[in-house]
Amino acid sequence: MTTPRDPLPLSGRQPRAVRSALAVLEEVVAAGPGVTAKEISAALKMPQATTYRLLNLLVGEEYLVRLPDLKGFALGRRAARLAVPVTTTPPTAARGVVDHLRGLVRWGVHLAAFGSGQVTLVDPDPDHPPSDAALLARYPQVSALGRLLLADQPEWRALVRELRVFTEHTVSSTSELAVRIDEVAHDGIARQCGELRADRGCLAVPVRAPGDGRLVAGLALSGPASRVADPNTELVALLREHADRLGPLLA
Amino acid sequence: MRDRPVLPRLRERSPVHGLRRRGLAPLEVFAQSVSGAAPSAAMAATPAIVAVSAGGGTVWSFAVATGLALLVASCIARFTRRMAATGGLYSLTAKGLNPGAAFASGAALLVGYGMLAAAALTGGATYLQALVARLGGSVSVLVPVGAVVVVGLGAGALALRGVRLSARVVLLVELVSITLMLAIFGLLLAAPPAGPELPQPDPGLGGVIAGVLPALAAFIGFEIATALGSEARRPFRTVPRAVTWTAAVSGLLCVFAAQTQVVGFASVPGGLAAQDAPVPTLAAAGGWPWLTPLLDLGLTMSFFACALATTNALARILFSLARDGVAPRAFGRTHPRFATPHVAIAVVVPVLVVGLATCMVAGVALGPLLVFLLTVATGGFLVAYLLVCLAAPVFLRRIGELTWPAVAATSIIVPILLAALVAYVVASGGTPVVAALAALAGAAVTWFVWARVRRPREVAAIGVYDETVAADVLGDPGRAA
Repeated sequence: MTTPRDPLPLSGRQPRAVRSALAVLEEVVAAGPGVTAKEISAALKMPQATTYRLLNLLVGEEYLVRLPDLKGFALGRRAARLAVPVTTTPPTAARGVVDHLRGLVRWGVHLAAFGSGQVTLVDPDPDHPPSDAALLARYPQVSALGRLLLADQPEWRALVRELRVFTEHTVSSTSELAVRIDEVAHDGIARQCGELRADRGCLAVPVRAPGDGRLVAGLALSGPASRVADPNTELVALLREHADRLGPLLA
Repeated sequence: MRDRPVLPRLRERSPVHGLRRRGLAPLEVFAQSVSGAAPSAAMAATPAIVAVSAGGGTVWSFAVATGLALLVASCIARFTRRMAATGGLYSLTAKGLNPGAAFASGAALLVGYGMLAAAALTGGATYLQALVARLGGSVSVLVPVGAVVVVGLGAGALALRGVRLSARVVLLVELVSITLMLAIFGLLLAAPPAGPELPQPDPGLGGVIAGVLPALAAFIGFEIATALGSEARRPFRTVPRAVTWTAAVSGLLCVFAAQTQVVGFASVPGGLAAQDAPVPTLAAAGGWPWLTPLLDLGLTMSFFACALATTNALARILFSLARDGVAPRAFGRTHPRFATPHVAIAVVVPVLVVGLATCMVAGVALGPLLVFLLTVATGGFLVAYLLVCLAAPVFLRRIGELTWPAVAATSIIVPILLAALVAYVVASGGTPVVAALAALAGAAVTWFVWARVRRPREVAAIGVYDETVAADVLGDPGRAA
């Protein structure tokens, strides 16, 4: 019904407005959370009405949020998408759990983090190299790990930039994707069979924090596309068991 | 070095948790607001009422009323661009004015949405009965009673099942209804005039101004999107746009409908004002009697969509009052799976349905009942609009973002709304409307006094909204990125 992108073509003829908006963002970072509109306006020597309009715009786009007193501003979660995700090495105990699973199955085992709203492989399987990291980060909808991330976000449409078709199995319409995402949210497991590379498929389950259940990482098995389509009951149980063990280690 | 502001402690979950956060698409939010304003019904019914005062100036009255509605929308947008509320204008007013005024707004909105929902059910039943009668069916009272029961409970069930589903139903129904209306009015406008144009009495400026109040009543309900703040995707963009665009679209539709009817009756003595059922008369005169059942169908659909949209809003006002601690706490509960305020819906809908059905079975005529309900609703909305417009600059001053356009908008609209309220009370003098409003106001004051005495802390902190929680902020200390 709606596209994530603004339908109005940007003329690119408002360089001052763009520069001012970026300056406002920078000032919020520099001054720290809780800075007020008046303070930003004074620090940037920008007219108040302009500052308020830009702030409301940035809040509307969710790069900024208003704090509960409605006066102060802070960076919103969406601003994380402006930064390149930092790949952090998971703790040794967590790597041990992943290695343990690798010892039990003949499939590739990958661990991914979802910071910055992107799929970042933090422990890819050295013996079964995964797909290109840039592709995974850029097209979350074609990988099982990416679908875990999308299913966790009410605004997942904003994260899907382009429905690029890689193989004949790639999901190519938003409505079909919405059905898949709903399935992932419902079943707690994501799968893709030959959508990125025709001969490969992937199964992924979420790793959740023990207390509040928020999504901290994704654990995936990759293997032949034909095998991924099978129910794989025992394999999935094994995968879930390891994901549960990873929860407290990564939260 | 400048001082770094201290980040206040953020909640882990929103005070209005339980509703489905950020799920509604912009079009779905917009459809709710449009259905609340029910422009199809306004197109068919209000021009003749406005014409009683404004005569040939009817179109101007609608144009002025549209301008006023846009001003109210601009005051509402000062809030909705900055906060996402579930209690509509009540939650917004609470951020600008004191708890007493916020409470008054809450009570006014309960009256407004309650009466509007009842009016919409009655209106739908009225036109359904007319449609059935025209198609040769029974004229028994069972038709409207059955319609109220079925549609009322159906609206309740949809509202209960999920805001998304009910928003989609509303969108579809309203789209069909408006398309039908546009086709009918377009056909009528294209019809050749019935005879030479008679000189219309000049209504003068006074007549046009007197016509503004009934024209303004055509807009009530256009602010329903404000109750969906926490449920809309990108609410700070979607909600203000939905409210503003609803005012603009409803205004345009009404101006178009008024023009069609004024032109259509230009050659009839007395003009549009003398008409009881202007659109069917025009259709018959044009040689298209079959337009009338289509009109009835369109109006029935529009009224029922309005009933659905207002039920959603009414339940959310009650929900917010309960979360604020001034209404029974059970109203603040949400359904674990459907994420809707199910207790509030389950109480409100049967009360409305049983009340209306009883009136109809007791023999109250549908026409006067509809007018009565709409008039009481208008009173409630006028109070709520007045308070929210008054609150806008105070709110902006409080958060240190006051600008002169906000002050200007309020200083124009508040005296006009006050005058409209006075005119409204004078016009309803001696009718049961005044008694009903007095009784409702008395009940609200009693409720407020009770709340002040029994729950002073809750009353002082009135005005929950969907505030920023820890998970929304980047780099909150308590959370990993």
